[in-house]
Amino acid sequence: MLWVDKYRPKTLDHITVHEEIAQNLKKLVTEQDCPHLLFYGPPGSGKKTLIMALLRQMFGVSAEKVKVENRTWKVDAGSRSIDIELTTLSSVNHIELSPGDAGFQDRYIVQEIIKEMAKNRPIDTKGKKGFKVLVLNEVDKLSREAQHSLRRTMEKYSSYCRLILCCNSSSRVTEAIRSRCLNVRINAPSEEQIVRTLEFIGKKEGLQLPSDFAARIAEKSNRNLRRAILSLETCRVQQYPFSSKQTIPPMDWEEYITEIATDIMKEQSPKRLFQVRGKLYELLINCIPPEIILKRLLYELLRKLDAELKLEVCHWAAYYEHRMRLGQKAIFHIEAFVAKFMSIYKGFLIATFG
Amino acid sequence: MVMAKRNSIVVLSSDDEGDASNRSLSSNTSYAKSKSRSTSTRGKKRARLSGSRSCSSKDSSRLHEINLLGEDFNEVFTGFNDSAGSRRINTEELWVDKHKPNSLEELAVHKKKVEEVKIWFEERLKPSKAVCSNNVLVISGQAGVGKSAAIHVLASHLGAILCEWNTPTPVIWQEHLHNSSIGTPYTSKLDEFETFVERIRKYGLLSTFINGESKSSIILLIDDLPVTNGKAAFGRLKNCLHQLVRSTQVPTVILVTDYGNADSADYNAWCSEEIQLSLLSSGACKIAFNPITTNSIKKVLSRICQLEQCDLTAQHVDLIAKASGGDIRHAITSLQFFSLKENQKLSLSLSVTKEKENKAFTLDDGYSLHFSRDETLSLFHALGKFLHNKRETGTAIKDDQQEAFLIQERFARLPLKMDAPEKILSQAHVQPGPIADFLHENVLDFMNEEAIEDAWTVSSYLGDADILLTKLQGMLSRYNEAEGILPSAAASVAVRGVLFGNSHTLSSRWHAVRGPKLWRVEKNSLYNKNEMFRQRITAYKGLSSCHTSVMATEYMPALKLLGGRLESPQLSVHDFDMEDIDFDQMSLHGEENDDDEIEDW
Repeated sequence: MLWVDKYRPKTLDHITVHEEIAQNLKKLVTEQDCPHLLFYGPPGSGKKTLIMALLRQMFGVSAEKVKVENRTWKVDAGSRSIDIELTTLSSVNHIELSPGDAGFQDRYIVQEIIKEMAKNRPIDTKGKKGFKVLVLNEVDKLSREAQHSLRRTMEKYSSYCRLILCCNSSSRVTEAIRSRCLNVRINAPSEEQIVRTLEFIGKKEGLQLPSDFAARIAEKSNRNLRRAILSLETCRVQQYPFSSKQTIPPMDWEEYITEIATDIMKEQSPKRLFQVRGKLYELLINCIPPEIILKRLLYELLRKLDAELKLEVCHWAAYYEHRMRLGQKAIFHIEAFVAKFMSIYKGFLIATFG
Repeated sequence: MVMAKRNSIVVLSSDDEGDASNRSLSSNTSYAKSKSRSTSTRGKKRARLSGSRSCSSKDSSRLHEINLLGEDFNEVFTGFNDSAGSRRINTEELWVDKHKPNSLEELAVHKKKVEEVKIWFEERLKPSKAVCSNNVLVISGQAGVGKSAAIHVLASHLGAILCEWNTPTPVIWQEHLHNSSIGTPYTSKLDEFETFVERIRKYGLLSTFINGESKSSIILLIDDLPVTNGKAAFGRLKNCLHQLVRSTQVPTVILVTDYGNADSADYNAWCSEEIQLSLLSSGACKIAFNPITTNSIKKVLSRICQLEQCDLTAQHVDLIAKASGGDIRHAITSLQFFSLKENQKLSLSLSVTKEKENKAFTLDDGYSLHFSRDETLSLFHALGKFLHNKRETGTAIKDDQQEAFLIQERFARLPLKMDAPEKILSQAHVQPGPIADFLHENVLDFMNEEAIEDAWTVSSYLGDADILLTKLQGMLSRYNEAEGILPSAAASVAVRGVLFGNSHTLSSRWHAVRGPKLWRVEKNSLYNKNEMFRQRITAYKGLSSCHTSVMATEYMPALKLLGGRLESPQLSVHDFDMEDIDFDQMSLHGEENDDDEIEDW
């Protein structure tokens, strides 16, 4: 088991990073009145941990007995019926899924699942807790239509089920949904908090963890706790005892993007663009989300760029990111950005150096 | 020859006994056959209609069965002789039948090919010669290149009798109901064909009808093979043909129609190719007929014009010949249609012809459409047009442009040296999605090394096309009307974007067109995604699922490092088997269909 999972706090009481929020949630749940919840915050800040702990608080240990299912839903969409396949994680009391994976058919999935849950409403002996919890991941990836249909079903079936929504940015969640939920913002943990967590794990594992090394990991993790713990573990595998000068292995895909950026800066031609495309394909094959590729690529390019070009390049990056969301084939748009950048940069080089 | 004769005698005696089980069956079917034939007035097969029609009454069914072959034969034979003389008076007839070639000279097929076939026949028909090893000739060619006509003419030239097998018309349901009430079981056309082949192999031809002229030799012509559906039936057909090739004693000609290479994915085309291959491997000879050259078609057309006394300008004849695409049957029909119009609407055509004649020079679309076959283009042909992006050169066209509104220098492009892109798209029958993918995959190869600005324009337009396509998918079935327009618009944007953006084309040279790698990437990434999920949940007992993005960007790299695989930070992608798509290495240089090439040959 990875340390990330091993040392994940199981109950709200054990939560260390967002203690205050955890206590509030506990109070909320113990008073038996649980509204819909919307958790949002950057990756690696502890949203999932909080949600799991919350479920445990609500349903006891049974919430931890999950099974994984690959389910197919038959959905009637007007004239024809569509089969949608999704992986779900479920226990007796909750279902967790990422409707965003269904692509543009996401709106059907949300409605269908909630309806189904309403049908199989669990009945408690005391007549209490007559609801299930539906955990929806990546709500911000849902299409606008899906969010609208979610809003309606939320109202209609609110007595049967509670929704826990989880996303990175609430800005892509419609106003209507946000106002129907209790919004919980989860901050990224501060570097001190990360260091403290790392030290806690080090102590449990019986490791000698130099404090400046822990600080370096925390700094490199970009305030992402999960990443910090993962890199601590990889460092442990690579070299132990730790030395404070030890290199922290970077993510391979990040290095790869750095390589792409170097390629782009070196030569600007259709041929090079073609090579870059090949490399982008490799990233996509490994499921690196295109938005992240674009963002990282921009970051790498900006580091090497003259200040006067930065504004324009950022503009185009934003432009193509937007188009990427409108479209379907991400590679078309990333490539268009790369081509645009090459074109700008080439013009700049010619203007500067003749 | 002696063999065949003796065989026929044997069969005759068995016929008199009249007990063969398949006899009653075939007599009925042939009855049905002749009935349905009489309604079908398809072009060249018309000649057969006049033959021994009298014998279709039920009483004579016994005699009729003998004529299962004989009838065809008689019809063909008599029709043949007739068509030259007596029939020509009948103006109602289709010219295709009316002006059937009657001598080798009139045949439009290339001399060399005719000679080849002739030699083949002569070898087999020589009475002195011992039994030849193989008696089957496969003739392939497009529709309407005169395969059947050549055989007919040759047969009459050599004085041989031609027996023809045509796949009978299918039994329709009503007919089947009717038949089964009488007690006739249904037999598939394939069964019939098999029985037929079986008999041919065993007994040669049942040539009762040659009573008078029993000396003449026989040629068997299998004009179209039964349609098969499914692997099993196809296998049977192949097997049956194999047997035929192996053991037939009669010179047999099998005609196979080539479907244009355009629909190479088509099942039919695949079948015909497969059959040809299997026939060849069993030892048949093959002669391929090329499309008829424009010149030969012109010759035939002008001969017909003379006979029919319609005065078409040489220009029109030329145009028809060109538009026919080597299909002489089509050319003659067009000619008839065309001259018909001229005669009947003389007053109208007078005013119109002037206009027409102007247009005829440029082979304008609107005009030539009247008699051109709908051409199909292969996907690669179309892609080649778009990617090579051929344009007019020089300033000769400046005049045209002045009429149009003024465009800034950088947006102006020379006119395209091809049909409108949309037309090409419709000819190539491609879906908008794939065409965008194909263009995206290949366009960079066709760009000038310096032209990164162009690359941007092109990729931006492709992005537009993608967005248009996505909008369509999002709305599913709700906006039916929009469904037709949006994808076409997307395809148009993609193609025109490529044509517009690629303003500094490379001088044309050989390029391979690849299949879109994007498809493989999508497939593989989906696979990897599921794999990641599985790994995460089973092997690492994660309690909660997490986003794919998190998995890919954080867990996977860490897991790779933890797994002790520290060799390189390179992504381990290279080990996928990049299966070669069959069209991977397809040359685009068959692009211009050179008429010259055929002419030279």
